[in-house]
Amino acid sequence: MEAITTITTNNNTVIEVKNLVKRYKGAKTPSVDNISFSVKKGEFFAFLGPNGAGKTTTISILTTTLGKTSGDVKIAGFNIDTQAQEIREKIGIIFQKPSLDRQLTAEENIRFHACLYGMCSYHPTFKLMPKAYRDKVTTLAHVLGLSIDALFKPVKKLSGGMQRKLEIVRSLIHTPDVLFLDEPTQGLDAVSRRGLWEYINSIRNQFGTTIFLTTHYIDEAENADNVCIINNGKVIACSPPEELKKSLLKQELILDAQNRNELTAELSKLNISYTVNGHINVPYAETPQEIISQLKTKLSVLKIHEPLLEDAYIEFLNKTNNHVET
Amino acid sequence: MSEQVLTRKKSRLIRELNTVIAVMARELTVFFKTPSTLVLLFVMPIFMMGLIGGNIMGMADGEGLGTFMLVGMLVNMLFMVTAMGMTSLVDDHETDFNQEILVSPVSRYSLVIGKILGATFGAIVSMIGTLIVGLVMGITLSIGQLLLILALSPLMCFAGGAMSMILIGLIKNKKTANYAVMLLIMPQMFLSGAIIPINESNMVLLVLSRVMPMTYCIDLARAITSVDAAMFNPLINFAAIALITLVCLMIGTFFFARSEKNR
Repeated sequence: MEAITTITTNNNTVIEVKNLVKRYKGAKTPSVDNISFSVKKGEFFAFLGPNGAGKTTTISILTTTLGKTSGDVKIAGFNIDTQAQEIREKIGIIFQKPSLDRQLTAEENIRFHACLYGMCSYHPTFKLMPKAYRDKVTTLAHVLGLSIDALFKPVKKLSGGMQRKLEIVRSLIHTPDVLFLDEPTQGLDAVSRRGLWEYINSIRNQFGTTIFLTTHYIDEAENADNVCIINNGKVIACSPPEELKKSLLKQELILDAQNRNELTAELSKLNISYTVNGHINVPYAETPQEIISQLKTKLSVLKIHEPLLEDAYIEFLNKTNNHVET
Repeated sequence: MSEQVLTRKKSRLIRELNTVIAVMARELTVFFKTPSTLVLLFVMPIFMMGLIGGNIMGMADGEGLGTFMLVGMLVNMLFMVTAMGMTSLVDDHETDFNQEILVSPVSRYSLVIGKILGATFGAIVSMIGTLIVGLVMGITLSIGQLLLILALSPLMCFAGGAMSMILIGLIKNKKTANYAVMLLIMPQMFLSGAIIPINESNMVLLVLSRVMPMTYCIDLARAITSVDAAMFNPLINFAAIALITLVCLMIGTFFFARSEKNR
């Protein structure tokens, strides 16, 4: 199967990956197999794939925590081989696995992070920290529904969801240029998920932050500027979500009538193809108007089915897997 | 939503110093949150100085052996407790906290130095415990001798911490790390002359003692406190400790950074 790739590189490129390969020690096959893609400044880029596809490996390489086997990677114009420290200055990450110090309080974890990123000098208590730090911590905690009380509890006493929120607050404290989100909403409730995305959108608008997302909640990637699908270490598609959907899925009208026979007869007479799947599904190319305007039968159901990214994603994976099997 | 203004510090040096302080402060915070560790570090000298030292003193009965042993044991505690404290890096690996540390835009040396300074605090607690046990055993040091040892303690702790980093950088399992550090420290305790003089050792043991940094730490401490005649010039001791520490710090930090990345 040919990979769909419509992303081009230009001066505005903030992440540039060329022929990236990662083979873990002792592994027979590479986890990341010669992948290439680029992400523009301020872009919301979704990197999707099933479990074990190579998403976290790719993120680990891009965030300088894992060495690559071969290939070229540039982040914010810096080469990952020679300018790792400069890259770390520009990025933030929410790791897939929790990476908190469970013996410290939530706020102590954030304070430690803020100090490592040079946001403020270390002070032994929250009250002694600069006001800007205290304000930002409380603002972010509020956005994510993390109570002030929870901020001062040891991490080991917080629930899994609360710990996830804490990791998100921590990663946002230094307002990175490129934010890597490795399944950030895993374990979050619906309200917190919405709060997180509202905040991420607000920092994108305010600071032009580039978002690099991996997620299993495909609906979170619907608003992405570009989507890259990876399977078995290879990129199988990379383009805006609308193009992905159009390349695989048809838009459909969902129709029904009290006199269904009359409707199907009319469709046949008009030479309009349809399938019966609960209701009557009629695919259309440009606009549904051209079909509806021709129908005389009184309709009881009229809906437009816009294909979801999730449908396209599953279709892509199925096609790739079938291709691999054959 | 308006963003609070929280800007990065510009000076690289200040940021690295701040990192060292933050890492050290984290170690201290964790230390005070686990009082059992504090108690153990305070009690450990009872076994090290009280039982082992007491037994040897009973057998040898030499004049001045008590002070000789106390200075040796003080240096040994500084060296050993710092080295053992560094195993918390393996904890951080097991809990994935190392990810958070290693993705931060700071020098790996700042991270390791901060860790060593944090572990130094535990060493100082054990040193105080050793002094108290010594006092109970009727062995005392003058204020001047004590201050001299205190002044040298950061160097001793750095030597112990840096040396254990070579192992810590290669080990991913806490249990293995504990055993490895003990394996690194225990021979030094006996071969460096912390408890008994090594002048009469055979050639092999003597050569071994010369490659162990604790030997130079103990010789330097005894020389400047005038407890025993020095084997080497204090400047040679100082240079040997500084060199070994620097080399160990560089190799250990390299292993530490590489082991996380090179999978």
